[in-house]
Amino acid sequence: MTPILELRNVRKAYGDFVAVDDVSMAVPPGSIYGLLGPNGAGKTTTIRMIMNIVPQDSGEIGVFGHPRAAADLQRIGYLPEERGLYRKMTVLDQLVFLAEIHGLKKAKILPDIERWLERVDLTHWARKKVEELSKGMQQKVQLIGTVLHQPDLLILDEPFSGLDPLNQELFRELLGEYRQQGKSVLLSTHGMELAERMCDHICLISRGRAVLDGNLKEIKRRVGGNSYRVVADGDLNRLQELPEVEQAAVNNGVVKLLLRPDASGPQALRRMVEFLEVHEFRSEEPELEQIFLKAVRDAA
Amino acid sequence: MRPENVMVVMKREYLQRVKTKGFWIGTLLLPLIVLTLTVLPSLLIAKSRTTQSIVVVDETGRVGSALVARAHARDREAPKGGRERSERGLMQDESQMARFEIALEPPAADRKAQRAELDRRVLEKEIGAWIWIGPEVFAGKPVEYHARSVSNVFTQEALRDDLTSVVRRERLAQAGIDPERVDALTKPVRLETQRVSEKGSRAEGGAVGMFFALGLFMMLYMSMLIWGQQVMQGVLEEKGSRVIEVVISAVTSFELMMGKLVGICLVGLTQLGIWLGTVAVLTAPGIVASLALMPPGTSLPTLTPGILIHFILLFILGFMAFATLYAAIGASFNNLQEAQQAASVAAVFIVTPVMVMWPIINDSTSRMATVLSLIPLFTPLLMPLRIVIEMPPGWQLALAYALTISFVIGMVWFCSKIYRVGILMYGKKPTFKEIWKWTRYA
Repeated sequence: MTPILELRNVRKAYGDFVAVDDVSMAVPPGSIYGLLGPNGAGKTTTIRMIMNIVPQDSGEIGVFGHPRAAADLQRIGYLPEERGLYRKMTVLDQLVFLAEIHGLKKAKILPDIERWLERVDLTHWARKKVEELSKGMQQKVQLIGTVLHQPDLLILDEPFSGLDPLNQELFRELLGEYRQQGKSVLLSTHGMELAERMCDHICLISRGRAVLDGNLKEIKRRVGGNSYRVVADGDLNRLQELPEVEQAAVNNGVVKLLLRPDASGPQALRRMVEFLEVHEFRSEEPELEQIFLKAVRDAA
Repeated sequence: MRPENVMVVMKREYLQRVKTKGFWIGTLLLPLIVLTLTVLPSLLIAKSRTTQSIVVVDETGRVGSALVARAHARDREAPKGGRERSERGLMQDESQMARFEIALEPPAADRKAQRAELDRRVLEKEIGAWIWIGPEVFAGKPVEYHARSVSNVFTQEALRDDLTSVVRRERLAQAGIDPERVDALTKPVRLETQRVSEKGSRAEGGAVGMFFALGLFMMLYMSMLIWGQQVMQGVLEEKGSRVIEVVISAVTSFELMMGKLVGICLVGLTQLGIWLGTVAVLTAPGIVASLALMPPGTSLPTLTPGILIHFILLFILGFMAFATLYAAIGASFNNLQEAQQAASVAAVFIVTPVMVMWPIINDSTSRMATVLSLIPLFTPLLMPLRIVIEMPPGWQLALAYALTISFVIGMVWFCSKIYRVGILMYGKKPTFKEIWKWTRYA
């Protein structure tokens, strides 16, 4: 399947600082693709390069199966990291404007706008100026502005930051529907839990480098074949000293244990019963956070 | 470039500005302020034009009565605005501001008591002032003027003129010369201007066209001071708001910049239209009246439709040219303070034409006039002057238009380039080298 968005060896440096270093990734159609990484990893720079806001120093960017052209940007819905709307415009005027610059006619789009505003509970704010709205409301308006022209690809930079759980859920729902229509979403976030719940594919970026990418389930299988949940009494901190153990996260007597790829689980269990009273030892999928931490550490 | 994108941006810029209260307050308030500042003082002066009563004590017996006669003669003449006064030059209004009623009083035996009595009457505001004409006035001795305030220069000036005239005639008569004859012999010469054009000579008041060209000059000057800042701020604000990242992914920076400029220019023209419309409505009766009163032989031929079209085109082009200049500044800087410093540099282009205006009016065909009026930013200000004085050759007009239009388009392109890259600079002041580099970035 031709990826809807593809980056090949993309690099961007600001002076001596390399913001994005040789990043390659591919967003399959009909998927939600998570661009993950800590603050300052290069997520926003990557997205800005995709949107042709900053030019890449080298590498290629392709969309919809061909090298990116100016007209392709019209088929993308973009939510920038730093939010912004025209503060003095009314919500309605603003949305009409955003639709119009994407080539839609006002008369045709008005019913859509009304439907959307009702959906996100902003009907009564339609004729208010943007500056009168709360931050969360503005963000909802901006998301509507991003999807109004029914783009084939949505690119959302940190879409969940600043939203309350209720609205986060609403956003999640909307993105889910979007994927069901066969369209794709690329979103960046540093919230692993959210990404884990939503994304089909991920790309982990750390210090400008893509340290891990692919289908989330496959990654979990590949990386997490050696992941266990341990419930035990005793000096749990000693687990870290075992030669088989890659990573041991202790939380309330429950240990998330990640073994080295070549280590054997039963072997590790035999060793730990020597100093622990083990109640439970179960193979399980690793959490994205674990994978992330390991990947970042491996890369360093 | 897709024109529909320019239209969308233009519509937004126009409607967003015209919809604000600030626009309407500014549009309605400015004429009100101008009106208040220009009309109110003259109203007040007209109000204060009360007739001052002056007591004249004339020891010679020959000046006082003539003075009274003269004051009466002037009062009769005043409403129709006599020729004699207008020939006195620019200060012609002052004598209209000064009105006085003269009461003659014979000198009493006790001069000292009479003086004290007159002083008392001044203090009690019974009379405004009194003057004492001594016997040696013909020999050049001054006339005494006594009043509570001696700063009423207009009254004094008029009084002095009248006294001079009366005393002069008396002196002439004493020397045996007929004053009427002197008047006739010293009458000033008037120039009747004849404009020579292809259509033949005709008598023409050059003032109307010149007035119009100067009016245009001032209007463009004012508009640019007001709207240049607006353009600059508009560009700056949008750059500050990150909405631009979304907009720029849908429209090109050239489309955006073009739409923005045309939109803001239209707002400026709307405002001007409202002002000119108001002025036209308010002054139409006056213009009709003055046309009716114009002496026969003088016509208003300087404002042919062709010239008017030139004026309108040049005005719009001038507006656009200066707007692009300010837009470029707005696009290059990240905050208003820095931009305003640079904007003061741009003002040079507005001030220069003002400085060379008079030499050009004096000789509109000089090489300096030709060259300067072809420079894009100067064309809109200087070409109307030349057109009014003497229609420049067709090729010069064509060249001027071509250069200005190319300048505007080139500047929009230049602005869109710096704007495009300027939005990516975060909080860093650009150097000229960087600005140049930006223009070459796709």
